[in-house]
Amino acid sequence: MAESSKDFSIVGKKTPRIDAYERVTGQAQYTGDLQLPGMLYARVLRSSVPHAKILSIDTSKAEKLPGIKAIIHHGNAQVPWSSGGLTHRRYIFNNPVRYVGDPVAAVAATDRHIAEDALKLIEVKYEKIPHVLDASEALKPDAPKITPNGNLSVGKGPFSAPIEESWGDVEQGFKEADNIFEDTYITKHVNNAQIERRVSIARWDAGKLTVYASTQGVSNARTDIAKDFGLPLSKVRVVCKYMGGGFGNKNQAQDYDYMAAMLAKVAGQAVKLEFTREDDFIGMHGRWSSEQHYKAGVKNDGTITAVTLDAVTNMGAYRKQSGNLSGTDFYNIPNFKKVIKPVHTNTVVAANYRAPAYPQSVFGFASFLDQIAFELGVNPLDMFLRNRAQKSKGKLAYTSNELEQCIIQGANRIGWREKWHKPGETAGPKKHGIGMALGGYPFRPGLGAATIRINPDGTAHVLVGVTDIGTGAKSTMAIIASEALGIPLNQIQLTNGDTDVTPYSVGESGSRTTAFTGPAVVAAADDVRKQIFNLAAEQLKVNAEDLDLQKGEVFVKNHPAQKRALSQVVERAGELIGRATTNPNFPKEMDGKCFSAHFAEVEVDTWTGHVRITRYVAAHDSGTILNRLTAESQIKGGVVQGIGMAFSEELIIDKVTAIPINPNYRDAKVPTHLEAPEIEVIFVENYDPYGVYGGKVVGEPPITAAVATIANAIFNATGKRLKELPMTPDKIVRAVQV
Amino acid sequence: MGEKSQDAKFSRRAFLKGVGGGAIGTAVVSTGLINADVAKAYVSESAGGARDKSAVALKVNGKTYRVEVEHRQTLAEVLRDELGLTGTKIGCDRGECGACTVIIEGRNMYSCSQLAVWMQGKEILTVEGLAKGDKLDPLQEAFIEHDGPQCGFCTSGQIMSGKALLLKNPKPTEAQVRRGLSGNLCRCGNYNREVAAVLAAASKTS
Repeated sequence: MAESSKDFSIVGKKTPRIDAYERVTGQAQYTGDLQLPGMLYARVLRSSVPHAKILSIDTSKAEKLPGIKAIIHHGNAQVPWSSGGLTHRRYIFNNPVRYVGDPVAAVAATDRHIAEDALKLIEVKYEKIPHVLDASEALKPDAPKITPNGNLSVGKGPFSAPIEESWGDVEQGFKEADNIFEDTYITKHVNNAQIERRVSIARWDAGKLTVYASTQGVSNARTDIAKDFGLPLSKVRVVCKYMGGGFGNKNQAQDYDYMAAMLAKVAGQAVKLEFTREDDFIGMHGRWSSEQHYKAGVKNDGTITAVTLDAVTNMGAYRKQSGNLSGTDFYNIPNFKKVIKPVHTNTVVAANYRAPAYPQSVFGFASFLDQIAFELGVNPLDMFLRNRAQKSKGKLAYTSNELEQCIIQGANRIGWREKWHKPGETAGPKKHGIGMALGGYPFRPGLGAATIRINPDGTAHVLVGVTDIGTGAKSTMAIIASEALGIPLNQIQLTNGDTDVTPYSVGESGSRTTAFTGPAVVAAADDVRKQIFNLAAEQLKVNAEDLDLQKGEVFVKNHPAQKRALSQVVERAGELIGRATTNPNFPKEMDGKCFSAHFAEVEVDTWTGHVRITRYVAAHDSGTILNRLTAESQIKGGVVQGIGMAFSEELIIDKVTAIPINPNYRDAKVPTHLEAPEIEVIFVENYDPYGVYGGKVVGEPPITAAVATIANAIFNATGKRLKELPMTPDKIVRAVQV
Repeated sequence: MGEKSQDAKFSRRAFLKGVGGGAIGTAVVSTGLINADVAKAYVSESAGGARDKSAVALKVNGKTYRVEVEHRQTLAEVLRDELGLTGTKIGCDRGECGACTVIIEGRNMYSCSQLAVWMQGKEILTVEGLAKGDKLDPLQEAFIEHDGPQCGFCTSGQIMSGKALLLKNPKPTEAQVRRGLSGNLCRCGNYNREVAAVLAAASKTS
């Protein structure tokens, strides 16, 4: 394998997406674009109360509506949804209902408007149960119990609670410190809000279920469906060719896939179940909110000696994922202890959203460190440089680590030393500020599979189970295949996302596609290259080991003039097939991580509380960059999502009725073109020995540091520390007027 | 969001479905969109229910389609479900995200917020109508080169707003591009790329 970008033929260049043409012409077929013959349309009825036993559901009026083909609810469709609830048994329809938005029934009709009309005709009698919305309240002994075991979300294995992690000796660390600091930071529930609403199309053919899903992972979606429907894997097919974003909330199979499948079974017809935008905001999940209490021991020069984190995270009514907070990952902390309590409340479920455990806790911890730097009179740049991660968990070496260079190059680019000033010292109502924070994400290779077919004309067909949620994963897989095969990219066809056709893939979550499936593509290419060389060796009368393949030509390594076009080599071979299932070794005594250092300059209008980001620099260590074009887009986009989380986004639950009051784009206030500054991207490249072509991960990291970076810039501008997200104009005005 | 947000506010389908005919008339007049033909199509809606149907001739991408539509069907639905033009996406169905943007009579508009029965005789351009045969529109080429689509779900809308802008103002400034596209949300946050693509297309066409 090549060990520097100079040796690559296509890896590392700016390569347009292989499916860009389809995406700009409207020809890309997303799940919702598919129409099957006789297909019905489905809608979901949701609970209007936060906690209640359903006494009765009367569907008789709805059934009489012409065009209604199936109505399902907890009384006639008890399908478990295993991945939807890790602490207590969750069904696609639950009784009792546990939050405003818990599904109560689903209707399939000949068109979507009839299905919508029918929802209004379903009569549900509820017997209300006391409810609790606040995570800390929920932990009190007299709080209403949402699960039989109480409200601390205790699941099995990795989902036990509280989440505890420690190393070193924190008491000793505090003794070694010159100063002890304590503070509390609060973050809110933010929705993933991808533009493609959830949609699922299900059909049954002779006992086999096909689900056209809008999923981040066809393989794990198939596994989920097969398990919960009691079907062998061979009787379930999941297809997803194009995906309109998910950012963590479309991984695996979800309740709407199950509802579509049940409705299709009852109706005996294909069913397309579409979420409305409101369904999308309340019916799935967003990022877990948190209350983070930190204590740090720090020497006078800014060196951290110990940190403790005590936190509660609000997981809503069901536990789907960890609820962890990992923003301390990017620092050298010799003595550390954290105790995080994921808690159930009668609110919208919280689970994975891009870099799930990070941006909220990076906001907390990097704000905390920035404040400590201020109180010690240390420049934040020196504070972050001094305490940057050099070993994982106090002892493990990283497989690669360019965090120091990220900090230095980012700081140089933005001109930190010239521009940084004491907090709040700009004169006038509009105040300049500059801030920074560190971020990143874990990197680790894992299980992947790939098949590569060489056609008799020398073109290649790559089959991978990956989905492409916007990261450019399909293009990355094709680029890896092109590099590994020695066949130009325009002669490679790629089929993805169909469990009947494509091999296993982990699913596009946790930035794992490149690290998991990439090595399998390389191994499948090696497999088929051996077959090509065996054929060519006979034709050229040389040893197979002496041959190489580049640019679609097979040649003798020492005599490149002795060559043969790949199309000639394979023209009578029918078809060559390379295949591989790989699970690369990763050393126990090491840890993998990509890193970032973000920098922002802001202008805070202290009269209106509005903040304008005037410059943004994001420096990233993701190892080798496989496609500079799509990787830069990922960084830019992640920062913009962080800007929304920093300034405006919050799902607001009415305290009296428990109803989410802003489940739509306008009121959830996601960033528009007008809020997005130009984001300057720096890649500090290196070659990670455990990454495919030296690459680590790209997609999750860019959001991690963005929120804290902006918060620290606002502090530098105003001298006021905002400790609660989102940092809305009213909070800023209140802070500066104190 | 300027004009478009006004349209969106007054012509959301949810709003229309919830109120009587008279109120819809007010909404239509306030958008200034209506002409005599459309008003005629509209009368039948006032007279009947939302589920009544009318025949309309839709001029889409230079072709005329005669379709019978329910009065409550939006243009976005009819484009997608009846005409098979699924390049136009529906992201919110309530006039907020812009994924359904098409060009109607030269203006970029949310097709989820226009009833199909209002479209009698209007020239509608969708993303499928931009290319001339195999030759992509320069804006589409720029979107490929500048990585305009991440997930791609908002891309048709971004391109149509960009196209409408360039039709009116072939040499926009960056600020004008941002404003022109500000009614088109991109949750992938790919705004830098989309703006760069529109500016690149503007510099290519003379």
